[in-house]
Amino acid sequence: MAFAPAEPPVRRIPPALPRPRTPVGSLVLLVAIGATGLSVYGTEFDLVELVAGAGPIERFVLQMFPPDLSMITLRKTGQGVVETFQMSLLGAVIGGVLALPLAAIGTADAPTLGASRIVRLVGAAPYHLARLVLNVFRSIPDILWALVFVVALGLGPFPGTLALAVHSAGVLGKLFSETLETVPQRPVEALRAIGASRLQRLMFGRLPQAAGSCLSLTMYQWECNIRSAAILGFVGAGGIGQEILIAMNLFDYPRVATLTGATILAVLLVDRLSAAGRRRFAAA
Amino acid sequence: MTSRGTAAVALEEVEVTFGAVRALAGVSRVVERGERVAVIGASGAGKSTLFDVLTRAVPLRRGRVLVEGQDIMALGSRELRAARRRIGVIYQAYGLVPQLSVGMNVALGEVADLSGTATLRMFARGPGPATSARIVAALERVGLSDRVADRVDNLSGGQQQRVAVARLLLQSPSLILADEPLSAVDPVTGRRVLGALLELAAEQDATLLVNLHDVALARSFPRVVALVGGQVAFDGPPADLSAEVLTEIYAGEPLDPVPAEAADREPSPLGRPGLPLLTHDREGYGLRAR
Repeated sequence: MAFAPAEPPVRRIPPALPRPRTPVGSLVLLVAIGATGLSVYGTEFDLVELVAGAGPIERFVLQMFPPDLSMITLRKTGQGVVETFQMSLLGAVIGGVLALPLAAIGTADAPTLGASRIVRLVGAAPYHLARLVLNVFRSIPDILWALVFVVALGLGPFPGTLALAVHSAGVLGKLFSETLETVPQRPVEALRAIGASRLQRLMFGRLPQAAGSCLSLTMYQWECNIRSAAILGFVGAGGIGQEILIAMNLFDYPRVATLTGATILAVLLVDRLSAAGRRRFAAA
Repeated sequence: MTSRGTAAVALEEVEVTFGAVRALAGVSRVVERGERVAVIGASGAGKSTLFDVLTRAVPLRRGRVLVEGQDIMALGSRELRAARRRIGVIYQAYGLVPQLSVGMNVALGEVADLSGTATLRMFARGPGPATSARIVAALERVGLSDRVADRVDNLSGGQQQRVAVARLLLQSPSLILADEPLSAVDPVTGRRVLGALLELAAEQDATLLVNLHDVALARSFPRVVALVGGQVAFDGPPADLSAEVLTEIYAGEPLDPVPAEAADREPSPLGRPGLPLLTHDREGYGLRAR
């Protein structure tokens, strides 16, 4: 500064860009950047290779056009889309129905006061068990579930639907219990104060307040399911994925184009329907 | 106060802490059955915590709480539910379930009586014909019987408060805890709610404890208990509530409430809620001195 030393230094005004506010935050940021760099190295991430691969990609895509629009392909495609659609819907519905009781048990309600430690431990057991079951359902990817069910039940859309149902139940169960736990508490407290049991607080206090959100979440799960359902066919669990795999193995790329296009359309359709439904229910 | 055997509420050296904060720091009080007590104090003085210990919503660090002679912290779950069945609550707001109908919310006044199967039936099909008749009768007394099937969140705040009173009517508790029931409604509705609570308490010979911010309103009760920092700073008839005591209670509050002498003066041009109505309508409450 060119001014006299008596002039106090102007403090820098922090910009809007998010930045770490504590030394620990800065350290975490550094670690994150370091981990990202290591991952680039470990996954052999190479932008040059990507650019070099543009040529083969272009050739591959060109082979897909014009897409196969023959009657027989369109019929197969239509059947595949319908099956995928049905699998995703049923998976979400069954998942939601299964998730509700598990989530209800897995909802933390205020601890029993004045009860002994043993009573409290025993009382918490169903809660932890339900949470464990939901975690297992959720953590195993749906395609892995599909593999398990195909081994048990053979090929077709049924094992695929089961896989989606189980995985959806896990995902929805966790979300439902979080929703049930975080509803506005005052009505629930009022019910507790006048003598409602845990089940009654859940049914009359939590569930009505959470219903709209739970429905919303189930519709979103339907959206996720249709994207999964499209590829469950890769392990023989039904849906349009099976047709895509067959077409790819036969190098029938125009067919792949038709099937992929139809899949995209189906996903977009479900996205739209789900968003419309969620807009209506989320506010409830 | 005439003693009638078992007191409605008895606190013995009750201490409640939330981490480092002492919400109640050694409170010992007795409230007899049928008394009407106004509880005043600054925010955070322990008024709501006092109600929470009576319904066993918070653990005690020390002391005993007796409700109708029973140690509330020692009750098993079934006895606790039975005890809570006799305790009615009404809050400042949000005590009802917004998505349920008015009638259903009122029906929940008797929720503690429902067995498992009755609960499921109530959930799926609503209250039966006999109960419904009583619900409509309760709503009629608060002037809302025509809204019985409406969702609660379609009602105004004042109307919701009246539904909460109807729930109390159905419940017929022997102890009524009103936690700032008038703070969120307009003065006219507030008078209706307070009048209904007093009438309800008189009918049931129930004990009524009301948390209030409005000191002028508290003066219309036969007994005022003031909390400061989790301890009782005053307990007696409102006539003894002097300006010095009030300053001590509300020290640090940005808006000091009006002391006793001012309550008889003309209403201030600022038109403080509750005050002008009280000075002119003191007789209108029909309060019976005990």
